[in-house]
Amino acid sequence: MSTENKTAAEVNTNEQNKKPAKSFSLMQGRHRGRLAQIPIYLGKDFRMFIYQNDWKVLPMAALIAGMIGFVVGENMFVTMEGTFQCSLALTCICIWNGFFNSIQSVCRERPIIKREHRSGMHISSYITAHLIYQMFLCVMQAVLTVGVFKMVGLKFPEKGFITSWFLLDIWITLFLTTYAADITSLFISCIVHTTTTAMTVMPFMLIFQLVFSGGAFTLSGPAAVLTNVTISKYGLVALCAQSNYNSLKSVTLWNTIFKLRERSEEIKEALYLIEKEGQLENILAESGKSMQVAAYEMTKTNIYSCWGHLLFFTVLFAVLSIIVLEFIDNDHR
Amino acid sequence: MFGLAINWVDILTLVLYAASSFWLSKYFEKYKIEGWWAWIPGARTYWLARCADRESDGKAALVLDILYAPFYLFGSTFNVSEDVKAVIALIALFLGIGRMIYKARITIDLCGDLKVNKAWGWLWVFAEVIPCYVWSHNEKYWPKTAVQRYNGDDPLLSKEVKQGIADNMDDTNQGLSVRIEDRTVRNFLDKRYLLREIFMNIEPGHMVLLLGGSGAGKTTFINAVTGYEKANAQILLGGMNVYDEYDKMKYSIGFVPQLDLIRSNDTVYRTLMDAALLRLPADTRISELLSRVESVLEQFGLASVKSSLVEKLSGGQRKRLSIAMEYISDPFLFVLDEPDSGLDGVIARDLMRRLRSITDQGKIVIVITHTPDRVADLFDDVIVLTKDSRRTGRLAYYGSIDEAKEFFGTDTMEGILRKINQKDEGGEGLSDEFVKKYAERQVVSE
Repeated sequence: MSTENKTAAEVNTNEQNKKPAKSFSLMQGRHRGRLAQIPIYLGKDFRMFIYQNDWKVLPMAALIAGMIGFVVGENMFVTMEGTFQCSLALTCICIWNGFFNSIQSVCRERPIIKREHRSGMHISSYITAHLIYQMFLCVMQAVLTVGVFKMVGLKFPEKGFITSWFLLDIWITLFLTTYAADITSLFISCIVHTTTTAMTVMPFMLIFQLVFSGGAFTLSGPAAVLTNVTISKYGLVALCAQSNYNSLKSVTLWNTIFKLRERSEEIKEALYLIEKEGQLENILAESGKSMQVAAYEMTKTNIYSCWGHLLFFTVLFAVLSIIVLEFIDNDHR
Repeated sequence: MFGLAINWVDILTLVLYAASSFWLSKYFEKYKIEGWWAWIPGARTYWLARCADRESDGKAALVLDILYAPFYLFGSTFNVSEDVKAVIALIALFLGIGRMIYKARITIDLCGDLKVNKAWGWLWVFAEVIPCYVWSHNEKYWPKTAVQRYNGDDPLLSKEVKQGIADNMDDTNQGLSVRIEDRTVRNFLDKRYLLREIFMNIEPGHMVLLLGGSGAGKTTFINAVTGYEKANAQILLGGMNVYDEYDKMKYSIGFVPQLDLIRSNDTVYRTLMDAALLRLPADTRISELLSRVESVLEQFGLASVKSSLVEKLSGGQRKRLSIAMEYISDPFLFVLDEPDSGLDGVIARDLMRRLRSITDQGKIVIVITHTPDRVADLFDDVIVLTKDSRRTGRLAYYGSIDEAKEFFGTDTMEGILRKINQKDEGGEGLSDEFVKKYAERQVVSE
């Protein structure tokens, strides 16, 4: 306070304090380039993580994983149906987390970006800093999701298919799915001008991902083609493939027949005999064979292809984000 | 395969469109708009919006019309499968609702301007042939003013006067030399002059008040001068061309926007440090960087709050931080857009005194303020921009504060604004007279 008063009091009017006019000299030296600006914005992002409560996305991810794991985790890796449900739920969690991480991150400070762009900020540095920061969030969220699933008692296979650890395989898929969704959402945040618009667009994007995942609904014709541009499809396929979906038993047929046992004595008798002679597991396995899905084939090519697609979406939307934001100077006042 | 499917409804639609276009063309002529625009889908709505002075709505309606037309024509003219038809209908419905809403906004506003029943607005949307006929035939719907068109001619200043002003400019100025021929923007179907003929030299060590009513082009002028939005102009700072050397010179030009565009959840110190890292050369030694940040914090009275979050600062402190972020690179030209908005008189004056002390270091400081009289004594000069009768930003005066008062025949800065503002803005509407008077004075006196 004293500093302010002192400064105000010391400043005199123009007539008393005027100094001889100084001639113009250009500031010498190169300014920070694209690479050197990245740490500046990365620092800002991490300070926002602390001060602007962006850290809340981490406990939120753990909470959602806990709920899903508790509800649908029991039959993961046990039956086809349980594995599919849990894989779909995991994919949805990843997309939800990714979307929420960054949907407002650019549009909420758009006028600030415009001002800084005017002062020499490089858009590519700004977006790259975001890519690194968002990667940190997605890594943590994927770790939390796997950790929480483990905590709620989900029994993961020990041997991995791609790496030596199954948990690492699953973590990679969860991370790539979350990150692809995150960067897609970052792109949306670069296009829209207000947080209200961003939050209006987000539910449509979520619904699109869910409907066109190719798993939640049976699609045909042009709608089936659309599944190829969704993150959810590749996340779901990768999870099902890693879980060896096609080798699991199916309980759908058995459950349906079981429900009919009260209507027919013959069915009741047959069910009794199957159980008595220990044929139940064979029937469930045979039932599973008839339910196999070629897309969920547990092959390295299949999983790498899914990961590749997820990476492709990430890179595509990152580049598009930079291109779109380069036009920020055209924003109206 | 596709097949043409034109029926009597389509023919009737075409006849009604032709009739409404014919009468709309007559109505457009009242606004001095070429009648043939009425026949072009999309463009007619845009020009109707220009009649209602709702250009942005007109642009949106034009875009929606352009998008809607192919879906409408394809869906109604060709036999396609039910699935394709359903998709087309869905998109056309979405776009159709949008264009309907925009058209309603435009025509209801037009009714408001002409002071007629707003129900006419909805008639324009659903049965435009009726208002097209009635409005084109009835004198009651005569517009107050024609839509301004920009054909490049200048009704205020002759070529000789302009040449005289340009010839009289002093080329040896080591401060800021502004020679704006014009600054135009091209909209979809029209070109607009935002600024015209602004010539001046500002000496180093001068603090300049930029005065002008709403829409006079103050921010456009600043953007043109700082090189942010280029005009058809030559801007020299210390003899160097700002437009040619913008990438190098932008660090010598500080611009403080009207709003405090600072991240509220960051600390004052980090905000200023990041600004320094961006604006100072990369080879600046860390000790110099730290000392510069500390000295600017001191200079702007922010040292005591340097660890606070920006969101915890008062309005005055936040404004000082916003200024400090630009001042960190020690710019030679410092431009501030309403730095005192939202501040009380005492704090505003304290802020202006700080700017005065910056000016006294031999820099050029240009300040836009809407409360000029409380700080006018701190300024050396005043630039008066005004909106002429064609709504183009023009220079009505540049010179010392005292001479400005004499020139406009008033005792206060607000008095100057009253003189030049248009009558519908509460002014005396003398803008064009002062533009001419000042231009003639520039030719004679320089």
